[in-house]
Amino acid sequence: MFDVNGFILKKAKELGFNDIVVLAYETNRRQVRFANNEITVAKNWHERKVELFVELEKRVAGTSITELSEENIERTLKTLLSNMKGMAPKEDYYGIAQGPFEYRDIPETFDKAIVELDEPNEYVESAINAALEEGAKRVAGVLYTDHNKLYLTTSNGVEAFDEGTGIEISVRAFIGDLESGHGTNSVRVLKKFDPESAGRKAGEIAKLAQNPEQGPEGKFDVIFDPLAFANLLSYMSFMTSAYAAEAGFSFLVNKLGQKVANEIVTIKDVGNMPNGYGSRKFDDEGVPTRETTIIENGTFKTFLLNTSMAKKYGTETTANAGLMMPHAWNIVLEPGDYTKEELFSEVKRGIYITNVWYTRFQNYVAGDFSTIPRDGMFLVENGELKPIRNIRVSDNFQRILEGIKALGKESHHVHWWEVSTPVSTPYVLVEDVGITRATK
Amino acid sequence: MHELVEFAVEKALELGASYAEARFEEKNGTSLAMKNGNPEGLEILADRGIGIRVLVDGGMGFASTNVLTKESVSEAVKKAVKLAKAASRVRKEPIVFSDEDFHRVSYKVKMKKDFRDISPEEKLELLRKIEEEVKATGVNVPMRYLGYSDQMWKKIFVNSEGAYVKSKIPRVSVMYNLVVFENGQMEQAPFVQRAFSGGLELIEKDEPWNWAVKDVQALKKLIYEGQKPPEGRVDLVISPEVAGIAVHESVGHPYEADRIFGREAAQAGESFVKPDMLGERIGSEAVTVIEDPTLPNSWGFYLYDDEGVKARPRYLIKDGIITEFLTNREYAAKLGQRSNAAARAINYNREPIVRMANTYLAPGDHSFEELIEDVKLGVYMVSFNEWNIDDRRYQQRYIGREAYLIENGEIKHPVRRPILEITTRALWSSVDAVGREVEMFPGTCGKGEPGQGVPVWMGGAHARLRDIPLRRP
Repeated sequence: MFDVNGFILKKAKELGFNDIVVLAYETNRRQVRFANNEITVAKNWHERKVELFVELEKRVAGTSITELSEENIERTLKTLLSNMKGMAPKEDYYGIAQGPFEYRDIPETFDKAIVELDEPNEYVESAINAALEEGAKRVAGVLYTDHNKLYLTTSNGVEAFDEGTGIEISVRAFIGDLESGHGTNSVRVLKKFDPESAGRKAGEIAKLAQNPEQGPEGKFDVIFDPLAFANLLSYMSFMTSAYAAEAGFSFLVNKLGQKVANEIVTIKDVGNMPNGYGSRKFDDEGVPTRETTIIENGTFKTFLLNTSMAKKYGTETTANAGLMMPHAWNIVLEPGDYTKEELFSEVKRGIYITNVWYTRFQNYVAGDFSTIPRDGMFLVENGELKPIRNIRVSDNFQRILEGIKALGKESHHVHWWEVSTPVSTPYVLVEDVGITRATK
Repeated sequence: MHELVEFAVEKALELGASYAEARFEEKNGTSLAMKNGNPEGLEILADRGIGIRVLVDGGMGFASTNVLTKESVSEAVKKAVKLAKAASRVRKEPIVFSDEDFHRVSYKVKMKKDFRDISPEEKLELLRKIEEEVKATGVNVPMRYLGYSDQMWKKIFVNSEGAYVKSKIPRVSVMYNLVVFENGQMEQAPFVQRAFSGGLELIEKDEPWNWAVKDVQALKKLIYEGQKPPEGRVDLVISPEVAGIAVHESVGHPYEADRIFGREAAQAGESFVKPDMLGERIGSEAVTVIEDPTLPNSWGFYLYDDEGVKARPRYLIKDGIITEFLTNREYAAKLGQRSNAAARAINYNREPIVRMANTYLAPGDHSFEELIEDVKLGVYMVSFNEWNIDDRRYQQRYIGREAYLIENGEIKHPVRRPILEITTRALWSSVDAVGREVEMFPGTCGKGEPGQGVPVWMGGAHARLRDIPLRRP
């Protein structure tokens, strides 16, 4: 694809564009969806596309090109040019990164065995069977395999290539209408793939969740399963983008250098994480991805930035471009030193939440939100779990971070439908979490 | 393009498919954003491709390609057939589609002011107008995120049972997020959208700047004059906007047949509604909920769904009784019915699944004044921010953004964040009167994996709920 990139760059320069980024994708994605213990549909996507970003005297524009003939490329560039003429400039635009850069391979992000995998249905069957063995009656979920090639060319001397693979499964197991459990497994190399563990966890939780009683409301110490806490951290990842802060979608507005979490909390974005579902060698400007500490021992250190936004704020890019909108790659909540058993024994009377969904904000800048526990949820009393149902977490994002009082020692990498930015998190114990329920 | 679409269907039958459909889609458009007065750049959308869905031995396969050559389409068909065959081996019963009447039709939505003829700068002026009008209120709004987008959607759908549907639907929308800071306090109107199927004239006539002005003024008033809402059991009057989100979440979604049968269980969830609940009472006699894709210029507009079935209004609840589910061909067959044309796909590379279009609480016979006048103590909830519902669509919550106290039949001062947290049955059983005027509000409905955000309208008339346990934050 570099020949196509080169052609686009050359033509864009000829037309007078200044900063130019050409990011070509070649992707092969396969999906197997299942429900009621059977496959509902199997899909395949093969796509070639070029994402294009151009700048002309501080006017910026983007598009993607899927029809890659020279004729269409030239027509697209001319359309961009004619549309941009007469447009007002983006006064706070400060350019893209100056390359070239050197890149290192990220371990465990490519596996030929996934590319060559002919038929993934056996993994689906093994996940379903594991859940059924644990006592589930109905099992639903989705399996993906991914093979992506990325070709990046910029007007600032970058020519970079990355190739990655992935395989993941998300499994939800049901016993009755109200008893369910969920497990996931997302990896980049086939030998680490463990669909059975996802099915088993889903089945185990569903079994534990049988005959739930109406849950209580009030303030409770809550143990969040990694699957549940990953959801909250995935929403937070968007709020760490400088773009989200400027647009009024972040509780971190005006909080640089301030304490926003308990001091045991350190949160990072790791773009070059081995075996991380969101890992990539470089960002959309070609800057090598790296580890960025967002919150260190409770103190908010930095927003995620691209080159232009970094220059605007007099600092360095964090390698999170997104040219318009910087974004996280893999969010990591650093684990603590509690075993799972120790964490549960910390709670005299509290709640264990295994999964949440539908996180919505009353006010993004204040951070007030609620989210709905789904699948098994339990009252924890002196080490015993009693299944409950129909409760809602209603609290504030910063208060949740400040209320974290213990972290498990094992980290779990989570990526599924509700967690679009991958998150690595341990079990998390938060004190005084607001719990509400419908009263009629 | 017709030849390629027809070729895909023929090829699939040749390879052993018992059913095949192919859908060509092309989307062209522009989007613009403005952040705190700064134009954020222009995005041009030009996307097209073909998706093929087949049934082989009772298994379903889907593949898509954006390389529009015979070779590439042929490759995609082969993959879809192969995947369907393999999937059929992990099934207990074969997938069967309902029998339908198919048509050869072509339709389009006309634009009076064609957005394709308008320069981006002129479109940006719409956002500037919001900026200016908001600033002119004198309210301190330090964070302003505004977006404009337009898209022309063209489709050609062909299936192996004689359907041929060609359509051309333009869609245009404006959205804003406004953060008001006054008196050391902050309130927010996030992701407010105005959106239509049709030309730019619809946005101009709708005057989104007036909605924005109304929002920031209401938020300022809330900051200076807002008091705690009453607690305990009171009456609640909900606006068309709040009625809209409530019917969408707690009527539309749980009536989707694919959820009822568990197909969405691992993602968007299941449903408290079971097939044998047709005919059962779920709300008071005042409650009728209609789902209608055919509303002219609506955000969720279509006349034929993405399985080629002709659309019509669907009565989900009539006088408080569950009367109809939303179905596609697969789940209509399971119910022993005909499809009511709820199959939608967001793009060529997505499978059609059961979706809403425009869902609303049907009008009743009360004027707005009549709804308010015999409320002794209550709240009027005009707009909402935070909302969510469990995955069986039974336990939900809506928090008021703009809301007022009602006392002795009069609307008084604003109240802060009244919280309605209630079950679906309690919500619709509590309605004792519904207003006469229907209003609609746009939204993007999320479902499916990979996610398919489809344009929908939701709305209805004002409604009065009696004896509601309202909460405070």
